[in-house]
Amino acid sequence: MRLAAGRRWEPTRRRLAAARALLVRVFFGSGHGVALFLGTLAFAGLYWRVGVFINDTYTLANAFVSLAEGYLHVDEAVYGPGLDTPGMVVSEGQVYGRNYGQLVVSLPFLWAMEAAGTVADPGLVLPLAWGLVAVALGATSGRLVGRATAGRAVGAVCGLAVFLASAAVARPLDPVLFPVVALQAATLVATALAATTLYRLLARPYGDAVGTAAGVLAVTATPMGFWATIPKRHAFTVALVLGVCYALYRSREPADPEALLPPVGFRALAYGLVGLMTWLHGGEAFVVFLALVVVDVPTAPSNDVRSLAVLAGVFCLSLVPFLVTNTLIAGDPLQPPRMLPDYGGVVGESGSGAGGEAGGSGEGSGSFVTAVFPPAVATTLLAVSDRVGTLLHPFRLGLWVVADKPDALLSTFVRSGYSDRLVGENLKQAINLSVAEAGPLVGGVVAGVAVLTRRAQRVDGREAVREFRSRLDAAGPARTTDAFAAVCGLLFVLVYLPRLPVHAQVTARYLLVLYPLALYGLVRLGPLRRVLADHWQTGLWTWAGGVFVGGQLFVVAVAAGSLGRGSAFQLHALAGLGAAALFAVLASASVLTDRADRATALAAGLAAALGTNLVVLSGLVYFQYGPYALPAAGAVADLLSAV
Amino acid sequence: MDASRLVVYASVALMVALTVLSGPVVGAVDLTTPVVHGAVGEGNVTVESVEAPATARIDRGLQSESYYLKVPDTRVRASSITGKPVVSYRIEIPGLNYTRSTAHFLDSDDAGVVAFSIAEDTLGSDRVDAERYGGRIRLVVRGTTEWVVYEGTVTVEVTE
Repeated sequence: MRLAAGRRWEPTRRRLAAARALLVRVFFGSGHGVALFLGTLAFAGLYWRVGVFINDTYTLANAFVSLAEGYLHVDEAVYGPGLDTPGMVVSEGQVYGRNYGQLVVSLPFLWAMEAAGTVADPGLVLPLAWGLVAVALGATSGRLVGRATAGRAVGAVCGLAVFLASAAVARPLDPVLFPVVALQAATLVATALAATTLYRLLARPYGDAVGTAAGVLAVTATPMGFWATIPKRHAFTVALVLGVCYALYRSREPADPEALLPPVGFRALAYGLVGLMTWLHGGEAFVVFLALVVVDVPTAPSNDVRSLAVLAGVFCLSLVPFLVTNTLIAGDPLQPPRMLPDYGGVVGESGSGAGGEAGGSGEGSGSFVTAVFPPAVATTLLAVSDRVGTLLHPFRLGLWVVADKPDALLSTFVRSGYSDRLVGENLKQAINLSVAEAGPLVGGVVAGVAVLTRRAQRVDGREAVREFRSRLDAAGPARTTDAFAAVCGLLFVLVYLPRLPVHAQVTARYLLVLYPLALYGLVRLGPLRRVLADHWQTGLWTWAGGVFVGGQLFVVAVAAGSLGRGSAFQLHALAGLGAAALFAVLASASVLTDRADRATALAAGLAAALGTNLVVLSGLVYFQYGPYALPAAGAVADLLSAV
Repeated sequence: MDASRLVVYASVALMVALTVLSGPVVGAVDLTTPVVHGAVGEGNVTVESVEAPATARIDRGLQSESYYLKVPDTRVRASSITGKPVVSYRIEIPGLNYTRSTAHFLDSDDAGVVAFSIAEDTLGSDRVDAERYGGRIRLVVRGTTEWVVYEGTVTVEVTE
């Protein structure tokens, strides 16, 4: 009887297992990817505060509530001071939000939350989810290290313990907050997928261990962890850019009959991801598109009509949600919400940067064009050149800033400190850190310059050009991805530089994508991979010491000096900058000699620890804007702030 | 089935069961009770002595052009607390056009010495231009009746 029943279920079970294996392959790559994904959820879940951190989240949340009820326009401000929050736009008398791609992706999370809320206690749903993630994480990582039994037991005990502790101090969760929870959950999943994608990208050439290390560091030691549960576009941008990197990498690998897609399919996937990105933020998507075209087209193995047709087809298809949304809102498929007039005159963060750029080329070439071409052609040409000029304008502006105001570059990347221009917006707090201060590991990128200089010394100019040509022709997957990562990072900097420094950045969030791209760059440097391979224990122990001892020192210093948030942030900034400088110097030394390797590992551990301290202490001490998703973590946070 | 799987199934079952038991359908237990604010502001307290600060400080922040206002605690020896009276602790600095107050909830467990604190606040550098300011501190009980426990002056010293 039992046997018969077992046999009846066998095909279903086999089908389920196959579906699961496919799911893992598509989204996570391998067991390591699954573990990294779950680990990210568990880590960021520890300091997940249910609430609104920046006021333009009100815009998204209110638009999301309307969307969940089936409307694109927003009638009522469920959250916040009213509808005149940054980023609310007006079209034909109706008010609309923005980032509709992000909102649509968040819908399933809202449905899940509402469904769970009908049978389960809403205040315990998030602790339960965390507990289940912990159980799964234990089982998965136990299997990976060959200790399946211990892994299962540890995961189950940890999950249960945190759940019970949370249940003991839990408070009700107001169903009004479900949409905010859903937006945050979607952002968290995007962050976790980004970490997993970084792992997959680096695991292909260097193996699971190196890839996993990069993924873990991205979330725990850079501001990616800070923005993991803050429902803004940045986490999605990072996930999509890394997705493009990965697709581009795979498109340059030799055809593999086992792979799910042929190389040209991966190439099309890269364009498809860019197309989807328009639905999130058209400007950023254009930046990535430009970087992709500049790198992909000249280095592609072939640009025959068939592959170009596939690329164009997939790209156009991926633009459909963007075009449809724009048409529904503005009546013009090419006018995204961010280009519409602001509601209530609040200038959103997308407000245009400082004016005063070098004059355009409009008029002069215009008269030339009208003189040479027949009117119909001339009008089209001018319209196109006008569009292209508008599109390229931000990059020109960025170059102008680099040349004319290098201090903007300095305060964005090196030392932030106090800025008179920003204080009004930050309640007089100097909480906008530079890239190096917030993610000291980025400092290691300086070693890349050392590698390039060293290589340049070996070859003379003409030979270098020839070598570059031959490299370009035979660009392998990694080199193509390098080029894309570099161009993409550079263009992001150029586009956003005219607006930076700007208030409410905290960790240069516009440039969030630079952190994982920098980690990718670090791993791509041979000398630093050697450091990681030979001295990973030194790095790991320094990191652990820096987090557990250094973190306590920060708490004590902030309490003893009764430092306010601005001062505490500047303390982190100075320590982080020091660690970044040390790591930069030692990483460059490791390029020249392997005798510096142990010290480099130490500096890397320290830099990572300072990044982690900022992420964790911001989450538990400095910014408390709502109830914690895990009430047990909230109790710990209360304890820390009572010190 | 090995023991670790049993642990997994048992803990998952326990977590799901508790969440559902406390949920709206079953409702057998309610694990997420809100903090009871019942009858807040009712009752009274007898104050035996008050120890209020004579000075407060405005310190310049580290590497940031802001100032932090730090007001020391006021200690009160309280006895015979009935109900849940609210005590408001308030500082006023007319020279800065500044007031801030905090509310503290007392209940019968709090008898003895109770410290009332005002959290640190941030001031912009453009507001602080003198070396010291005069201020007033007020401690008010809002229970069944409302009465002033303490009112006095405080000197606010600015340190660079």
